[in-house]
Amino acid sequence: MAEYNEEQILSRRNIESPWRVGWRRFKKNRVALLGAIFLIIFIFLAVFAPYLTPHDPTRADFLKRNEAPSAEHWLGTDEMGRDVLTRVLHGGRISLSVGLVAVSITMGIALILGPIAGYVGGFTDTLIMRMADIFLSFPFLILAITASALLGPSIYNVMIILGVISWPGPCRLLRAEFLKLKNQDFVQGAIALGAGHRRVILIHILPNAIPPLLVAATLGVASTIIGEAGLSFLGLGVPPPAPSWGNMLNSAQALHIMEGMPWMWLPPGIAIFLAVLSINFMGDGLRDALDPKQE
Amino acid sequence: MMTYLIRRVVFQGIPVLIGFTFLVFLMINFAPGDPVTHLRGVPDLDPRVIEQQKTRLGLDRPLIVRYFDWVGELLQGNLGRSFDSARRPVADLIKERMPVTILLSVSSIIIGWGVGIPVGIYSARRQYSLSDYTITFMAFVGVSIPNFFFGLILLYIFALILNVLPAGGYFRPGEDFTFLGMLSYLIMPALTLGLASIASITRYMRSSMLEVINQDYLRTARAKGLRDRVVIYKHALRNALIPILTLMGFMVPLIFSGAVITEQVFSWPGLGRMVIDATHQRNYPLMMGITLVFGVLTFLGNVIADIAYAIADPRIRYD
Repeated sequence: MAEYNEEQILSRRNIESPWRVGWRRFKKNRVALLGAIFLIIFIFLAVFAPYLTPHDPTRADFLKRNEAPSAEHWLGTDEMGRDVLTRVLHGGRISLSVGLVAVSITMGIALILGPIAGYVGGFTDTLIMRMADIFLSFPFLILAITASALLGPSIYNVMIILGVISWPGPCRLLRAEFLKLKNQDFVQGAIALGAGHRRVILIHILPNAIPPLLVAATLGVASTIIGEAGLSFLGLGVPPPAPSWGNMLNSAQALHIMEGMPWMWLPPGIAIFLAVLSINFMGDGLRDALDPKQE
Repeated sequence: MMTYLIRRVVFQGIPVLIGFTFLVFLMINFAPGDPVTHLRGVPDLDPRVIEQQKTRLGLDRPLIVRYFDWVGELLQGNLGRSFDSARRPVADLIKERMPVTILLSVSSIIIGWGVGIPVGIYSARRQYSLSDYTITFMAFVGVSIPNFFFGLILLYIFALILNVLPAGGYFRPGEDFTFLGMLSYLIMPALTLGLASIASITRYMRSSMLEVINQDYLRTARAKGLRDRVVIYKHALRNALIPILTLMGFMVPLIFSGAVITEQVFSWPGLGRMVIDATHQRNYPLMMGITLVFGVLTFLGNVIADIAYAIADPRIRYD
């Protein structure tokens, strides 16, 4: 910091915003940057999936069943004669969008309940926190399985289920941030100056609670992708014939496919692994970059 | 310590348990099809017969009354009867399968802690070395690989290609029970389920150890001339373990989630596999019974974590 001269310090333009500081630190973290680049590639492949291969992801072709990888079918075909590579690319569309939509639902719920619990406090807080405890006392997958059995299998139900049952984590996080920030001098100052609740919450507290929430959301996408894969693997998630990385792995439950046709189940598994790994690296990098206690 | 435990168990635990059972009860009631549904399809049936049936089964009473009846039955260990043809009591079915799931879960917890803690300490002591980076990277890999995919890869390599371990099940029928025999069935599922725990405990242990390692009292211990081993394992470890113990409470439900899917991969005949079968057969009493048992086990796991926490942290013990 010593290289700034007096003029630069006095000029407002040279004061780095917290986001700029975060980005500068994030850029230096090579692993996190690599994760972000991988993730962009994954999103690109998912978005342009229909233009990348000439095959249809769902149309069965019984003359081409169980073919090993070849020049025409780079990753072979599955037991219905569908091109595995095409299904992995289209599966990415489904798995990534389930992750994004579910996390948006989670964050929506958390953004309503967390600030209420932290800001209002008292009985409201206790009530919301006990509700969170109830959700946390179910093993995640058991709750997802039960909900999926009651609602029936569909991609939208998977998004809703995974989104709704994940709310306690980010909600607790926001509550803790609100509790912490509410009593800080700048917030108390704003209240003393006559700022209303709305202004205090939206202008003074919330922006400071966003960085940890962003980290939680990023890591949440990773765990939702694993959750979707697990549900679909069990046959309770995204229903066939639509491809998702999880339901493609479902075929590996048959021993002859697992042993003799690894091209059917290895690619979707590796895709989940790489996508989740890149998101986790990116999320961890974000955490370090946005943490004001660093440096 | 007792005040702390009573506060945790009675004032936080009991309301959660009540809310939890109520949620399970609601789910049973929202499940499509109740015991009189089939009567509605019968032609020329006097609607009064349906009403009579409802009264006989107690379905005409308010939801909240039925909830308390149901809880009363639960407390006597009555979980209703399974919907399948044998109509066996759900409680019996669960009792048969529970030890198998507990065996798998406990083994994986032992693996997770047994590997994660020493590796985390090792990594922290050599911060920024090549082995530290490798361990941190491997821990990321461990939390990023879905456990069923890891399980499938283990199965593929060890059971199908190398053919050294059984491809699934619990023990071979007709075979004498031996410890080694059981271990050969247990090792892959336990490792699959334990992988995520190993990875996350390693990461937490490393950062927890790093927090402690730079504190003044450790420098004092070293300055006194204590050997490195004593400083690390006696002075540092105990404090570094405290946050890890809270992690244990959080990990119990994750272990059970993982058990459901691991049991499916390895045909491990526990509660997880049973709940999946029950779900596919729409066997609601069995599904709800198992959900309830998993909830109670999670609750007990949290109580154990709280006790361990209270024992490890004197600030709580003398509260």
